[in-house]
This record gives sequence, C-alpha cells and structure tokens, in this order.
Amino acid sequence: MSSKPQALTSVGPMRNFSTNAKKIATELLDASEDLAEFNKRLTEYYQQLADTWANAQKKVNAKIPKIPNDQEQFDSYKRIWIDMFDNDFTELFDSHKFGENYGKLVASELELSKHWEQMVNVMLQSANLPNKKEIDEVYKELHALRKRISKLESQTKESKIRSKEK
Amino acid sequence: MIEENNRLDPKLVEEFLKFGKNMIEAPKLVPALDEINLEVTEHEVAYTEDKVRLLHYKPRTSTQIKTPLIIAYALINRYHILDIHPQKSWVRNLLDQGIDVYMVDWGTPTNMDKYLDLDDYVNGYLDNCVDFVRDESEVDNVSLQGYCTGGTIGTVYTSLHPEKVKNFVATAPVIDGWRDTTVVSNLAKHIDVDKMVDSIGNMPPEFMYYCFSILKPFEQGIEKYTNFFRNIENESYVDNFLRVEKWLGDTPPIPGELFKQWIRDIYQDNLLIQDKMYVGGKHISLKNITMPIFTQVAIGDHLVSPECSMPLHYAVGSEDKTLRVYPTGHVGMIASSLSQKKVLPELGQWLKEHSELR
Repeated sequence: MSSKPQALTSVGPMRNFSTNAKKIATELLDASEDLAEFNKRLTEYYQQLADTWANAQKKVNAKIPKIPNDQEQFDSYKRIWIDMFDNDFTELFDSHKFGENYGKLVASELELSKHWEQMVNVMLQSANLPNKKEIDEVYKELHALRKRISKLESQTKESKIRSKEK
Repeated sequence: MIEENNRLDPKLVEEFLKFGKNMIEAPKLVPALDEINLEVTEHEVAYTEDKVRLLHYKPRTSTQIKTPLIIAYALINRYHILDIHPQKSWVRNLLDQGIDVYMVDWGTPTNMDKYLDLDDYVNGYLDNCVDFVRDESEVDNVSLQGYCTGGTIGTVYTSLHPEKVKNFVATAPVIDGWRDTTVVSNLAKHIDVDKMVDSIGNMPPEFMYYCFSILKPFEQGIEKYTNFFRNIENESYVDNFLRVEKWLGDTPPIPGELFKQWIRDIYQDNLLIQDKMYVGGKHISLKNITMPIFTQVAIGDHLVSPECSMPLHYAVGSEDKTLRVYPTGHVGMIASSLSQKKVLPELGQWLKEHSELR
C-alpha cells in the first residue's frame, strides 16, 4: 500500500503530479546509462583527434627541426604544417574507426535528446499542451493535405485544358 | 644573450605586428556580413509554391536562344554562389551568352516541412517549376542543370520526366555514394539517419557546418583567415572573401524525410546507380535519360568526389553525352576565374548547339 505522502497525492489533480514525477525520475535514471555511453564515445572522439594531432606534429618536427626565424622560413614551415595536419586529419576523418565512433557518438547524443524530449512531453502534458508526437501528427496531416490540394489543382487545370480543346 | 641562430628576423616581427594590427582594425575596415547583398544579377520572382521560389533573370543580350535553362541548386547552402560576384557569376556569364536563365530557390524549410520528401521536391516543386517555364516560354521542353545535390534531384527528375527535358547538365552531381571518397560520405555512411530524423526532425544547419569544418580543417580554418587579415586593405579581395563567407554561413535546414531518403538511398544503400531507387513509388532508371547530357566534374572536389559523379556519364541511356573534368574544386568549378574562362564558355557553346534558336 501507499505511504502517507503518496496517499495524499493519489487523489485529485495532485495524482497527476505524482505520476509525472515518477515518469521524469525514470527518464533521468535511463538517461544516466546513455550519458555513460555518450561520455565513452566523446572521450574516444577527442582521443582520436589528440593522437592525430600528436602524430602530425611529430612528422612536422622531423621534417623541419629548426625554429623558423625569418619570413621565408616561417612561410614554408606554415605551409608544411598545414599540409601535414590536413593530410593526417583527412585520413582520420576518412577512416572507418572515426566514422564508426562518430556514428555512435551522434546516436548516443540522440538517445539523450530523446530522454529530454520525454521529460518535456510529460511537462507539456501536465500543462494541457500538445507534445512533440501530437505536433508531428499535425505536420504529417498538413503535409498530406498539401499533397491532396496540389493533386486536385493539377486535375482541375488538366480538365480545364481538356474542355478548352473540345 | 640570444644565440645568433635563434635571433628573429626583424621583418618577421614586423609582419607579426602588422598582422596583429590588421586583426584589431578589421571591424573598422570591413563591412558586417548582413550589410553585404548577395543578390547580384537583376531578376524577378516568376513563380512561388510554399517556400520555393523560381527566379527569372533579366536578359543581358538582345537575342536569346529559345530553350530556357532551369538551374536546380543544391539543398545545402543557397543559390547565391551561382551569382556571387559580377565577375564570377555563373548566371551572368550564361545570360551574356544569350541563354534565358531560371533558378530554383528551395527556400528555408521549417518544422512544418519535415515530411517533405524527394517525391515532393522532384514530382512536386521541380516539376511545377518546369511546367511553369514551358508555359511561359512556349516550349515543349527545357534545359535543366543540377548542381551538387541539385544534380541528384535533376537526375531523378530527368529519369521520370524525360519528355520535359531537352538537355541535362549535371554539375558535380552526387550519384554513386559508395564510390564517394570524401569525409562527408564517410560520416553519411555511419549515421543512424532514421534515429536522427525521428529525434530532431529537419536536419539542422549545425550538422552541415560540422561537415564543412572537417573538410581541410587547417587550410580552411587557418590559412584562409591568415590570408584574409593579410589582405585586409585590398578592397576587392575582402569583398570576394566576405561574399563567399556569408554564403558559407547560411545553409537552410533540410527537410527530415528528404534527408533520410537522400542519405539512405544514395550514400548508404547506393540505389540510384544500381537502378534500384524508387521515388513516389516510381522506379528511377538512368537508362531513361536519353536526351543530350553534359556532365561537369572537378578533379579536386572534396565535397563530391569525381568517382561519385562520373558514373552518371556511363550509366545514362543517352548517346549524345559529354564529360568534362576540370582542374579545380567543388566551388571553383562554378565561381572562379577558371569557371568564367573555361567551364562556362564550354557549357554555353554546348547549350547553344543543343537548343532551339529563336
């Protein structure tokens, strides 16, 4: 059976508050798992960037060990630095390991946004406002209506042309 | 005491100081981006539907060839790049060659447009624009040019409505997603596009900006701006730079359903080149493209690699087909001195040879 505070909220409008609070708490708990996955993927993402940076810098250092001290040397150092960094980073961004981690990073971010959306939906519902799903249904219906109108317009146009030809 | 070989050349110090001064003075020397008007060539809005506009450019020659050209711009960024600067304008160059030019501006989709798909764009908006131009110009068919993702939309359209297209020009079209070697395609192949669209609806510009940021990040993120501050007193350089910069920073969202179909069918499942793609329930066969086709590809294109565009040339059913490969990049092909001197004269000549004359 319910404890006293729960029993107090189990009648009237406050009952909703209790249910909503429970839903939001559940979402927060579920979100923490996805947050761990997101952090793991984000760490991997920065690790890949940091490793690539370190390797590219090593290559630049091996190619130009001296610190540039005039304009010409500085310009050629900058050119080599940019070319090597661009090459190495493009190689990373082209790689399967980057693409795979990026995909998972975005997916975990989307999971987190889904939890946020669920929490907002609960609050919207409690304020008697339409939630995302309901708004999406309106958009979908509008899209279908626009298509129908467009089809009807072109049918009318065609029949006008046909009647003129007769 | 500083050792002789570690001593800095005073000219280098001077250069650093000048560079710093230019950075500080930049806000006083250059206009703000919103002060720059990207509408270069005079035009009127000939047709509108929802958020889509069809622009018709004012002629710049006394005689024009009869077959009009409709340009279907890409879904990323806006059409302004094809008319970015009087001296580098794709549109103006074609007008000067006597071609009647229309441009499709896809507009700025909002959340309400998240269910718009490829069928709406191809068989709805683009088809209606083509019909409008056919009526207005009193021609049976038009020349159609598609740039980048607009090239894919144009390809699908041309396959479904070949009777309305007299000539097809595909400029850096995205066709064979599996052959695309760019970093953009690598990301596209790895994202869960269903989850993405279900969660966020339209594809936000921020996602596109991320994709741009990993294209040659150091050349684009350092060298480009270093050169800008070095040339801050060169009015024409600054004007050009800011125009392109404004264009780069203004990309509309992409309707969710369209984005989903685009990524899945082109990059992930590669259906178009395999003749397995369906749009609005209709099969897209590249063999239906039997009219003259002119494919333009840039060898240094790091957004749509040549290997991704060129298969179109070999897959279409047309016998009158031309493939041109230019030594430039994705934007260089359409808005540079090379495009003015080489790409456009060749295209203009080809269009004249394949169009109805007045």
